Amino acid sequence: MTTLAVERTLSDRAERTDAAAYWELLMNLTKREVKGRYSQSLFGVGWAVAQPLATMAVFTLVFSRLANIVSDVPYPIFAYTGLVPWFFFLNAVNSGTMSLVQYRNIVTKTYFPREIIPLAQVCSRLIDLGAAASLVAVLMAYYGVGVTRWALLVPALFLLLVAFTTAVTLLTSAANVFYRDVSPVVQIGLQLWLYVTPIAYPFAKVPLQWRRWIAMNPLSGVIEGFRSAVLYGREPDWTLLAVSASLTLVSLVGAFVLFKRLDRYFADVI
Amino acid sequence: MSSSPTAIRLEGVSKRYRAGRSRTFVDLLASTFDRVRGRERDVYSAARGRIDATVHALKDVSFDVPEGTGLGIIGSNGAGKTTLLKLISRVTWPTSGRVRVAGRVVSLIELGAGFHPELTGRENVYLGAGLFGLTRREIDRRFDEIVQFAEVERLIETPMKRYSSGLYARLGFSVAVHSHPDIVLVDEVLAVGDAAFRRRAIESLRGLIADGKTVLFISHDMWNVRRLCDHIIWMDDGRVRAAGAAGEMVDRYMEDVNVRALANRQDPLQSHRGGTGEIRYTGIEILDRDLRPAGRVSEGGALVVRAGYEAVSRVASPVFQVAIVDVDSGIVVATATSSAADAPPMTERSGAVDCIFESLPLRPRQYALRMTITDVHQLVSYDVITSGPRFVVTATNGASALSADGDGVVSLPYRFDHHLRAMS
Repeated sequence: MTTLAVERTLSDRAERTDAAAYWELLMNLTKREVKGRYSQSLFGVGWAVAQPLATMAVFTLVFSRLANIVSDVPYPIFAYTGLVPWFFFLNAVNSGTMSLVQYRNIVTKTYFPREIIPLAQVCSRLIDLGAAASLVAVLMAYYGVGVTRWALLVPALFLLLVAFTTAVTLLTSAANVFYRDVSPVVQIGLQLWLYVTPIAYPFAKVPLQWRRWIAMNPLSGVIEGFRSAVLYGREPDWTLLAVSASLTLVSLVGAFVLFKRLDRYFADVI
Repeated sequence: MSSSPTAIRLEGVSKRYRAGRSRTFVDLLASTFDRVRGRERDVYSAARGRIDATVHALKDVSFDVPEGTGLGIIGSNGAGKTTLLKLISRVTWPTSGRVRVAGRVVSLIELGAGFHPELTGRENVYLGAGLFGLTRREIDRRFDEIVQFAEVERLIETPMKRYSSGLYARLGFSVAVHSHPDIVLVDEVLAVGDAAFRRRAIESLRGLIADGKTVLFISHDMWNVRRLCDHIIWMDDGRVRAAGAAGEMVDRYMEDVNVRALANRQDPLQSHRGGTGEIRYTGIEILDRDLRPAGRVSEGGALVVRAGYEAVSRVASPVFQVAIVDVDSGIVVATATSSAADAPPMTERSGAVDCIFESLPLRPRQYALRMTITDVHQLVSYDVITSGPRFVVTATNGASALSADGDGVVSLPYRFDHHLRAMS
């Protein structure tokens, strides 16, 4: 029998195995999440598409009545393109916030890097994101929107979206371990967040004096970026994107550092 | 102990927990407010209750465990045994002091804690072993072994919500011991399985120790502790009360438990108490042939149960009953002072009665006493102690106990005769 080449000297470190094993654990927990969510559900991942579609319908009824809020593309596809990344963010943060508390059973009984749990929540929502995003292509064909080379930006934008979602989820999940008040606060916060993100309206229609604040929301750059790359087929607003990218990087690093400083107390207070 | 390298080293480890309910944001504001106003940090409030009370789970604990040791950890509830395992497994961190560990740790604080009921047995093996830090390829290689050990071949493609709790635990244990750990931490988890599984589990843990792995074993079953461990640490109120050879520690611990059971009215003994109370046992002593207190009896040796009693009102000819109980198989021996001959003359309100077993041919393991006092028709129970003092029966020679594996309940004298018959 071969054994792992883990050196057996006394150590203070908590990790005692290689990163590959933890990567697989992340994948397994993700699978567990997805399977748990869609088992005994007839419509399955279809719900991931239904959610933004329904909101798109509501937005179309309400906002498209406002005189030419969007001029370049039909309003439904405009709204849907913003709602797809939004619902990924919303669902990941919502379930991620509760995740450590839900996995209390494992957290208090075995050691493994704790960030795997909220990360699995984010990863498990990628399937929903993929399903919902593929409908954008259908809508584009339906409304006759062409694809340009700017569509090549999409993977980078996805990465930015996932990075920012991860940062927020790490923070809220850790905070929720200590104070359960975090979860309702997050839910209310997310409701408001929807309206300070250019989803129902374009960034260009934001009054000048507020633009600076809307731009400070990293999701603004991401969502506007998606629309430029996919719907408008033109160069994105680089300044907006740069602000979004740098804020995302800062928050991701900050959230991770904070998470690792707090995680040794999780099992005691959870 | 020996010159083998150290697997676990604890240096001055203390652990404090905050007791009471968890804090809410309001509590945080309140305590911050109090601190700003220069008050004590311990916040008392009639409405909110005490929130900053701390529990000292471990107090300055230090010890080394060499590789290849089976170390038992015994002690009463709340002595800090589980906290110890959680610190070693890095689930939690010490408030002060240092915990160092060499190699990979697998903790069995709860069997199958990481399993998901919606996933199949196969998927859960990968998930559970992954929690212990194994890669897919390593699990692939051990998969058949894991399934065979747990005996779940038939159900391996079935969602685990259809498993019985025993099967669940079996698969959990199997995954853990096949995760090629360097250190295994076992916390009283073997109580769930049936006797056959428990025996196999102990065997596999013994195999790990023989392979030079380190096993820390928490159990209240002194028989299993002795079977698995050469050394024992006795924890008491967050400290190491004593450490040493398993046999000696078990004796001292059992004696202490039984003495305290009598001395302390809030002991578990009292909580299992029933009966109408006209007459009650006041003290139960387990003595050897020479009427010295004993926590253990050797296989086939003598045992004296001395029970003091006291009557509140006058009771005509009470019947004293003493039964020896095995946790697995129930009552093993039942005795009663039923005949008029050995019924005590109830002239006095208090006294003592000895139940003497000249020879106790019981298999080595842990037993408990079940004691009752009834009326002469055994219709009214005056006093019922369902789980009384415990004692251990030890093998007359240590080696044979392990090979015979403690099967059966009674050891009777026997021999085998061989009759050879020529085949025609």
